[in-house]
Amino acid sequence: MVRIDAHLHVFAKASDQFPRTATDLAPGAREESVEKFLNCMEKHAIDQAMLVQLGGAQIGEHAYLQHCLKTYSDRFLGIGLIPSDCPDPKSHMDRLAEGGGIVGFRLGTLGGPRDPFAPVDVRTLESYPIWRHAAERDYVLWLYLRAADAHLTAYLVEAFPQVRVVFNHLGICPGEGKFRIDEHGRPRIETPSYNPSQHTVYRLARYENVAVLLSGQYAFAKEDYPYGDLMGWHRTLYNDFGPDRLMWASDAPWIYEKPGYGPLTELIDALLPQISQSEKAAIMGGTAQRFLRFPQRP
Amino acid sequence: MGTEAVGPTPEQKMQWEEEGYVVLENALHGAQLQRLQAAFDKATVECKEDWLQRVARGEAQPTFFDIPDPLERDEIFVDIVDHPSWFGLLQDFTGGETLFLGPQVRSVPVWPVSYTGWHPDVPLSNPLHIKVQIYVEDVSKNSGEFAFVPGSHRAGSGPYARPKLGESMPGHRRLPGRAGTAIVFNSYGWHTAMDNATTTPRRSIILIYEKRTPEKVRPDAFKAIARLCTTPERRALFGMEV
Repeated sequence: MVRIDAHLHVFAKASDQFPRTATDLAPGAREESVEKFLNCMEKHAIDQAMLVQLGGAQIGEHAYLQHCLKTYSDRFLGIGLIPSDCPDPKSHMDRLAEGGGIVGFRLGTLGGPRDPFAPVDVRTLESYPIWRHAAERDYVLWLYLRAADAHLTAYLVEAFPQVRVVFNHLGICPGEGKFRIDEHGRPRIETPSYNPSQHTVYRLARYENVAVLLSGQYAFAKEDYPYGDLMGWHRTLYNDFGPDRLMWASDAPWIYEKPGYGPLTELIDALLPQISQSEKAAIMGGTAQRFLRFPQRP
Repeated sequence: MGTEAVGPTPEQKMQWEEEGYVVLENALHGAQLQRLQAAFDKATVECKEDWLQRVARGEAQPTFFDIPDPLERDEIFVDIVDHPSWFGLLQDFTGGETLFLGPQVRSVPVWPVSYTGWHPDVPLSNPLHIKVQIYVEDVSKNSGEFAFVPGSHRAGSGPYARPKLGESMPGHRRLPGRAGTAIVFNSYGWHTAMDNATTTPRRSIILIYEKRTPEKVRPDAFKAIARLCTTPERRALFGMEV
């Protein structure tokens, strides 16, 4: 069975060839190359992966991602970013996708009323043109939404049943002011043990076009690997979405040092010990291959 | 309050045992219902901005809004805990050992999906666990009404799947009702809130009780309202006396 890492980041040092925005998490001098990741794939029998843009949303800042997708076209698909102030998101999306490889776009906000009691007309949401264009062009939408927007997703998912939607990192929607970088240089999101997504993202399981990444555990868990305190969340996701809409992902490079890529490839055994081999095979790659339409490799 | 309470009728007792719930229409009415509605409105205004900020910080769910510490906001929220319309039933069902665990004064915004799916609250190994759901406003069909699977509270019933659509649960019963309706249900049983296809949020109060066991008695849990708990019966209900 194919094994696919459904979400990770690669980036080059900031340069004229590969310009990108430097951040505390990824300073300009830091490099996490695709070759380093290919070595991990080789060592741990991972066949393909989804590379998610990091380092800026401008067209030019996608240069390294596009280089990787072009160089290893049978190995990778990509997810791009859209600037928050983009005057023409449709054109931006098409320009990034036209070379092939970039199949979708990651969103952090939806742009709508903060009050869940306010009436919602999806056509007035700032992200509506992006969703409509994704529907027209069959782009995937990759969601890692701020908590304030979590309640808006249901309206858009319902309005666009043809859009494939992938919630990142256990469906968690990070709260304002809850992000920091931990002592291992990884993102850390303070999240209540009583998972707020249980009553928002997880309720979207009825929509067949919604899938969830089993990833990012290190950022939410209160226990070290294998993050036993998150077993309940995984069990709930398994019950709600089933293995055909769950996808394992590493969120490399943040996990290279701790716990290491190898242990991440075994995490599903620890957090979903009750599932069958065929279900595990789906989560480890079969679902991603089908849902994200990874190319068949020779 | 407790002295006015009366036990269940034979029909109610049979329904409780066979089906796991009892509907009490008009359990609250008139001036008392109006006072409860006003207290609910006032607390909502007082607390909503804080809730919105907690939602943005990822500390609260956006799909339902519970008034924090309602018992400390208005005596009406305390008075309904041992309201005679249902307290006699609770005492009968628990053998006179009703322990109050807490309230949920809850507003549920309109959303394309119900905020919760089919579930029981506790396993059968838990002491008898009872909730009273009180509709503060009219709750019509398809407006987020409570629904229950009759008989699902009994040992040996089921197994029950978790259908993604509320209406797909075999054998379920929807329980819409007028403002002031109270639904007493056994929390071993499978229940949910149905989808709300209207434009009106659902407003209800859920009171949570259990058959008293020493492990669940927390004498300090309701100390903020101790001045309102002057009778032995009420102090026992709120767990103020071990």
